[in-house]
Amino acid sequence: MSNGGITCPEYKERLNTAARLVDTAKTQIRQGVLRKKNLVWLELTGCSGNIISLLDGSNPDFKYLISQMTHFIFNNSLSASEGQNAMEQLFSVIGSDYILAVEGAVATKNNGLYNIIGRLNGKPVTALEAVKTLGEKAAFVIAIGACATHGGVSAARPNPAECVSVQRVLDRKVIKLPGCPCHPDWFMGTLAHILLYGEPQLDSMDRPLLFYSTLIHDRCPRRSYFDKGIFAEKLGDKTCMFKLGCRGPVTRIDCPIRQWNEYVNWPIKDDTPCIGCAQFGFPDAMEPFISYNTTREVER
Amino acid sequence: MTKKIVINPVTRISGFMEIQVDIENNQVVDAKTEGLMFRGFEKMLNGRSPFDAVYFTQRICGICSTAHSIASTLALEDAFGVIPSEQGRYLRDIIHGCEFLQNHIRHFYQYTIPDFVKLPEDYPLFKAEHNDFRLPREKNERLVKDYFDSLYLSRSAHEMLAVLGGKAPHNHGVFIGGITTQATTDKIIQIKSILHSIYKFINDRMLPDVYTIAEYYSDYFSIGRGYGNLLSFGCFNGYKDLGTLYVNPLVYTGGITSVFNPDNITEEIDYAWYKDTQKAGKPFEAEPEADMSKPLAYSWVKAPRYNNLPFESGPLARQWLSGEYRNGISTMDRTIARVLEARKIASIMNILVENLIPGASVQKEYIIPETGVGKGLIDTARGALGHWLKINNQVISFYQIITPSAWNLSTRSNSYVKGTAEQALIGTPIKDINNPIEIGRTIRSFDPCISCATHVYSGGKHINTIQTVP
Repeated sequence: MSNGGITCPEYKERLNTAARLVDTAKTQIRQGVLRKKNLVWLELTGCSGNIISLLDGSNPDFKYLISQMTHFIFNNSLSASEGQNAMEQLFSVIGSDYILAVEGAVATKNNGLYNIIGRLNGKPVTALEAVKTLGEKAAFVIAIGACATHGGVSAARPNPAECVSVQRVLDRKVIKLPGCPCHPDWFMGTLAHILLYGEPQLDSMDRPLLFYSTLIHDRCPRRSYFDKGIFAEKLGDKTCMFKLGCRGPVTRIDCPIRQWNEYVNWPIKDDTPCIGCAQFGFPDAMEPFISYNTTREVER
Repeated sequence: MTKKIVINPVTRISGFMEIQVDIENNQVVDAKTEGLMFRGFEKMLNGRSPFDAVYFTQRICGICSTAHSIASTLALEDAFGVIPSEQGRYLRDIIHGCEFLQNHIRHFYQYTIPDFVKLPEDYPLFKAEHNDFRLPREKNERLVKDYFDSLYLSRSAHEMLAVLGGKAPHNHGVFIGGITTQATTDKIIQIKSILHSIYKFINDRMLPDVYTIAEYYSDYFSIGRGYGNLLSFGCFNGYKDLGTLYVNPLVYTGGITSVFNPDNITEEIDYAWYKDTQKAGKPFEAEPEADMSKPLAYSWVKAPRYNNLPFESGPLARQWLSGEYRNGISTMDRTIARVLEARKIASIMNILVENLIPGASVQKEYIIPETGVGKGLIDTARGALGHWLKINNQVISFYQIITPSAWNLSTRSNSYVKGTAEQALIGTPIKDINNPIEIGRTIRSFDPCISCATHVYSGGKHINTIQTVP
């Protein structure tokens, strides 16, 4: 696919970074330089869309992740075992060197009873208990997607289940990969960095700079329309989406140069505004998502 | 003597679920399905811009997000008085078809197959405790290979979705009027090419795979029937020029097929964690408050009913109602119907793609009405999905969602009539009470999405059970 005529010199570099990290990790693992780490992927209060997004990843894909990069111990959507056996499998990682990946927010209402993730020895285990128990002992904790990083849609007003971020219930470093969902490369690249070099360089809000350094607006292929003041009036137009409510100017992520789903498209190329799903504050701080000409006087 | 079995978590579904069954003489005599997560989407939607419902409601579900974008768009078009063009409908339905394919391929291989096929145990993820694996080694190996090969195809289905929809999960393309962008020739051929590979995989690999499972697990043709009440809101139907390519809104009960009437839907909450302020509510009325202290309640899933009866919805209902497949109603028929439907959807998509006018634009500027009422009822990958909304002062003032899994995994109705899946478990023979694999097989044949079904539930949680009580 065409890249919309982007000529930025770092374009290719950035596109390839995650893939190269993963390749290096793979080579080193094979040479015995690195040991595969245990990985647990916990789903909490959310839509389980981040594990689906992970399955949408290519190079590395899911098979490569579970065969070459990690011992993938447990995930609710994919584990063959069920019931007590599944819960034993999940908690078996405690005491080993493991990475905890979490998608979904932590429901705190009724002491966490708004989200039960299973039963261990007959006793219901709340998402709150699970993330605390597993989170305290993990070598690394990665919060994946908007719900895990800051509450996201699960914590949208009036937040009926009293959802909070993973960080709010853990007194430790949590690497944050906001996005709704998280792009598979953002996770795979972060994981590869951990396996290879340890914790990646993070910004002040614990997001890997590798992916979250630059505003969408700064690398938007439609930036020249913005500079010239040529604005889209409806969805489907090919010019700047700013007046339709685009959140590209406040959203730090690499969508414009990475793109989604085998890198074929992304929201602005689909002739819609960015809704800021990869920025803290999504969704409430990013609404309304669509408005026709935000510079008009608001009629109330 | 009655024994109680509790399975929690039921893995390989979307969301969190517990099943409790009572066993007598190695047969299931009672069953309860419980949804164990509450978010409260309907409450969240109040006060938001109507346009935002299209993107917001997709976050109900990560594996079938497109379904919600379609239903909310239909509800908005109804409320706005917008009639989409035929090109708009084709484009939107192509995106919807991509989600069907993604969902069905993943459900069959990643969610269903591990129940029947021994996956390589050097992967911790595939560790299984039971030993009811019946395929001969060669066939087992073929299905293991297809488990992994299918990953490429389901991912391609989402790639195809993103060509028109921008990204997946949670697409940007579906909107009032059809979709946002235009299907130019390069996109059309991109979709055709991916679709060709997916059709070939379904036809050459997935269908033989499901029939292999059916051959070795033929007892599942007589397990998991349920009530035999089937319902569809219709999908890929009523095109001006193309007519109905799949299924019209129909219901089937007691051997009789009749036309579906949306006025006959009610929701009951006696056994769900909501304040019991009304009897059977109509979709435009009911919006109960969460209440986890209610004594007899056991789930966040409410009990939708049609003419006061529980119904099954999903691929088997559609295959049956459209006359494509009428072998029977059971766990195995449900699984086969899903695979047959995947092939059907791929061929429908091909027709829609061939009828596209390259580059046609279907968008304009829409004005939110001061007040409005709208409903969007559509069959989606898992079954019948309905969104009902009201607009006041140009913002959403009411939102109601009834999902396919609420139909299939519902709690008891007010008169204690079991939900569809609960009924389907009754009579199931359990070979090994310590590894009751039969229960999960039947439950998964409904492709439960508890993220969806429990979107509005709230509350705390009863405790007081129990592993296997001898």
